[in-house]
Amino acid sequence: MENNFPRTGVFICDCGLNIAGTVDTAAVTEYAQSLPGVVCVVHNKYTCADPGQNEIRKAIGEHKLERVVVASCTPRMHELTFRACVAQAGLNPYLMEMANLREHCSWVHAGDPAGATQKAKDLVRSAVARAHELQPQIEPEVDVTQAALVIGGGIAGIQAALDIADGGMQVYLVEKEPSIGGLMAQLDKTYPTMDCSI
Amino acid sequence: MMDAGRHPRIKVLVSSEVIDVSGAVGNFHVKVRRRARYVQQDLCNSCAECTKVCPVIIPDEYQMGLASRKAIYIPFPQAVPSAYLINPEDCLGNNPIACGKCLEVCEQKCIDFDMRDEILEVDVGAMIVATGMEAYDPTEITEYGYSRYDNVITSMEFERLICAGGPSAGHFVRPSDGERPRRIGFIQCVGSRSSRYGSPYCSNICCMNTVKDTLLLADHYPDTDAKVFYMDIRAFGKGFEDLYLRSRSSGVRYIRGIPGEIEEDPQTKNLRVRVENTLAGELEQHELDMVVLSVGVRPRLDSNTVQRLLTLSRTSDGFFLEAHPKLKPVDAPTRGIFLAGCCESPKDVKDSVTQAGAAASHVQVLLSAGRIRIDAGTPLLEEADCIRCGRCAAVCPFHAIHWQRGGVPEIIEAACSGCGCCAAECPVDALTMRHSTDEQLKAQIDAILDEHPEDKLLTFACNWCSYAGGDTAGTARLQFPVHGRLVRTMCSARVSEDLILYAFEKGAPLVLVSGCHFADCHYINANRQTVTRVERAWDRLEKLGIRPERLHLEWISAAEGQKFAEVMRVLDEPRAQVTAEEIAHTRKVLAEERKRREGRKEKMRAAARKKREAAADARAESSAGAAASVAGPAKS
Amino acid sequence: MEEERRFRCLRCGLEFTAVHRKDGEPVERVCPRCRSNSIRPTKEAKG
Repeated sequence: MENNFPRTGVFICDCGLNIAGTVDTAAVTEYAQSLPGVVCVVHNKYTCADPGQNEIRKAIGEHKLERVVVASCTPRMHELTFRACVAQAGLNPYLMEMANLREHCSWVHAGDPAGATQKAKDLVRSAVARAHELQPQIEPEVDVTQAALVIGGGIAGIQAALDIADGGMQVYLVEKEPSIGGLMAQLDKTYPTMDCSI
Repeated sequence: MMDAGRHPRIKVLVSSEVIDVSGAVGNFHVKVRRRARYVQQDLCNSCAECTKVCPVIIPDEYQMGLASRKAIYIPFPQAVPSAYLINPEDCLGNNPIACGKCLEVCEQKCIDFDMRDEILEVDVGAMIVATGMEAYDPTEITEYGYSRYDNVITSMEFERLICAGGPSAGHFVRPSDGERPRRIGFIQCVGSRSSRYGSPYCSNICCMNTVKDTLLLADHYPDTDAKVFYMDIRAFGKGFEDLYLRSRSSGVRYIRGIPGEIEEDPQTKNLRVRVENTLAGELEQHELDMVVLSVGVRPRLDSNTVQRLLTLSRTSDGFFLEAHPKLKPVDAPTRGIFLAGCCESPKDVKDSVTQAGAAASHVQVLLSAGRIRIDAGTPLLEEADCIRCGRCAAVCPFHAIHWQRGGVPEIIEAACSGCGCCAAECPVDALTMRHSTDEQLKAQIDAILDEHPEDKLLTFACNWCSYAGGDTAGTARLQFPVHGRLVRTMCSARVSEDLILYAFEKGAPLVLVSGCHFADCHYINANRQTVTRVERAWDRLEKLGIRPERLHLEWISAAEGQKFAEVMRVLDEPRAQVTAEEIAHTRKVLAEERKRREGRKEKMRAAARKKREAAADARAESSAGAAASVAGPAKS
Repeated sequence: MEEERRFRCLRCGLEFTAVHRKDGEPVERVCPRCRSNSIRPTKEAKG
């Protein structure tokens, strides 16, 4: 029966004490080993650091992993990091799933280590279950229009427009008022140089 | 400014506003409305003859209303573009009876009253939002009498009065009598760091601006007696402490204490300021000729429009939200959009320039890549199951599904942003989001509710706002009960009625559907469908004898960590109140309901299939008949 | 096109009347007492 599950590797991150300070990551590691399809569990201090990413790439080769679950911080932070990491080892990036043990668990349940550990197990279990259902995807590629729009012609907009245009790209600088310059143009002198604003 | 105006690769569009944005990273299509300026920009040589004859006199915005301008004018001498314009609201018009004087004197013949607003369309790969800020208007602080007392001015007005190009040609005078003020007081933190007036945050620039102002005075008018009333002087930047010490050593008195009130002597128009000097521990009174209110900075009131068009979010202070406060300070949460300057937070010229450079380099990274990969988040259609109802096309906020009555919907991948609204709307499950399938979401729900489901608050959270709001709660270390279990979807509109019922069937005591506030929806307005689906689910639950109170809906923005934590806290009580019997009953009822629903779907698919087959047969017959009738005469 | 409609907050149970606009931008519904967005239109709609 269990052989039908894709071969899954789970990588559990301490994030220093950010996660491990509240969640019993050793217990979560042990728990992950019991989950269906899981053939390898690695417990790291920092999974996003080079040694942590190396472990993922190594395990994909050694254990012929078909799915990877990284239990660390929010995917809004490192989903792209770990997608790139598994891709380097030849796994389709869409076969990587994350469990958010930091922002959604250890950081918000600091006073309830037992509850947080239980929740962390649930989050890993849920991520593994989802990972099994994932399918490889091919990201469509699009050409990038070689131009930029800057909204606002104050000092920031002017500077940004000049930098982009000097780099060789076309820029449209849109300003609501009849002149660019913004609030800065109304200043007499500016600190710290005490020179003219215009 | 001049450099930007004459740069061959910069097209400066003034008097212009973005009115529509479509597309996505790499290929945005933007519509810009350029208001008519009634003077042909390229022909005008700024001779100023028109201004001399214009009879309309109005306060000059650039000079903070301290001087006047005409209806035809140049915003300020160094304006870019260097051309005049007519404000149509001020102008009397070109009816010869009304006016038209400027037309007569313009040698360049560049005044054109028939000019109309233009809509320009541009295609760009990336955008930078640099919409700036506004200075706080201190009129509401009646204790300071701004706008009642002539000689109480703001720091912005001070800039104009001390400026050589200002209304007094650089002669620093006070508004009441045109005399040079010798005793000047600066009041700090006006509209900043206050729970009563303006904003609770520190506006960042006002301390150093006042230090600069005192140095200008010491330089131009060494006999000036300047006093600064402050809470703390925040001179944290490079070289700032030096300037502050120079100001002190030039004789400026820094008095720690914020005055409660300003009184005006009605005869002399001099001002009396009472303040508790908190260092000396004494109540002091100061006679002054002029008081400068060092006003704080606030988000522009008109930033709503840009926020809506570009689906940006704001932090609680009203400034635009960055993708990450530390690691992505110039990225907006939407890919391909970057923030620069004071629209993100109050900052000085140096920091604005720095951030603008960072935003520009991010844009260049994107543009020079030439070709980029975009998320594989589009839907797949199982044509055999499709009943050709067109509901997917009707709810797609991006018009990325084309459908004609009776036909198979066509998915335009390039226009699709991957919200999943269509898949959740399909009545027969014929649409599948590639990376957010029903199987994937149900597997997560199963795993979460497999053990002790009664302890779990099953929460659907959209990627951009409510899931991110949970992250914000985490970053802020807000504490709440451990029972929440999030299932992430790109948009709350991905959550179908079926998925909600499925979670209840698997034993969830409480289900929460959460998404972006209406104004923040990253898929234009897909989350309006979320409301419809939740309402449908409420009705369904009630019909089946399940309390609708067990299904909740909350809008939580990426910035609202507080609200996320509060919702988790508040919903824990109703979660705990759901009894084991209730859950068991729900499981039973919904398992039956699911069978019924699946049966209904299969029937609909079969009926549609049959209808198609019948139609195909009819077509085959009629074309065979037509072929026969064509063949017939040929034979004879 | 404005009409008054009855709503019930599913968090705190408050029943209230709010103006419902058929045309124009839809607005977020919020419970005036507990600020919840779990606002259900009640069936017996007025007007």
